[in-house]
Amino acid sequence: MTAPCPPSGHFTLLYFAAAYSYTRRHSEYFEAPMKATELFATLESRYPGIKTSVLDSCALTVNREYVNVEENSLSTEKICDTVSDIVVIHAGDEVAIIPPVSSG
Amino acid sequence: MVWQENGLHVELTYDHLNINASMDKVRSSKAGAIVIFAGTTRDNFDGKSVKHLEYSSYIPMAISTLSRIARSVSSKHGLTGISITHRLGTVPIGEESILIAVSAPHRQAGWRAGEEALEETKEKAEIWKLEEFGGEDGAIWRANKEGSIGVPAPR
Repeated sequence: MTAPCPPSGHFTLLYFAAAYSYTRRHSEYFEAPMKATELFATLESRYPGIKTSVLDSCALTVNREYVNVEENSLSTEKICDTVSDIVVIHAGDEVAIIPPVSSG
Repeated sequence: MVWQENGLHVELTYDHLNINASMDKVRSSKAGAIVIFAGTTRDNFDGKSVKHLEYSSYIPMAISTLSRIARSVSSKHGLTGISITHRLGTVPIGEESILIAVSAPHRQAGWRAGEEALEETKEKAEIWKLEEFGGEDGAIWRANKEGSIGVPAPR
């Protein structure tokens, strides 16, 4: 799949497998900047239930590199202990939800 | 979607897989053995009958993951060549969904490398399998990780 080009000030989020089935979309645009740790909470408010059904077992990539997603990203007070841990998603970035893989 | 470099070949395709083509990718006068693995689609999971399977992928990431696997397995086992090809889209039951071919000066390295390439691919490649059961049983996104039963795909 070729990632579509987002409108200015937005990033592209790609949905695969179970994330695609839950959202019924292959991709979607979100306003940038956004902390990577806030993304799952943003998705939960747009797609209620997606966190426990899908996201809890998923990894996240930003521009095709895996990034850390904090365990308790739903609670805003407890995001990251150190500032350097926080990945910020910028406009034009290609972000993807990566469910557990199953090739073979 | 193909990536290749000095005896390393990885590919994702919506077409039927071709064993001879995979073998030819790794064939070499320096090799004393070619080991081929063909993964085929099974007609059941936990007693439920599977109608067909459908594979999807984050293609650029899967290509880059597979190329890393090919490179590391090849150098670790001193291979002459390695080819990893995975099929995408709908795969009818009983057909090949993955082909791994490795060539090596001696067979022992070939067996080990083939097994390792497959295990690494199953663990890491950004490819997903949807098992379609048909009727009311629906479909499930399978997960290779042990202990994971997969996520039902709502209609």
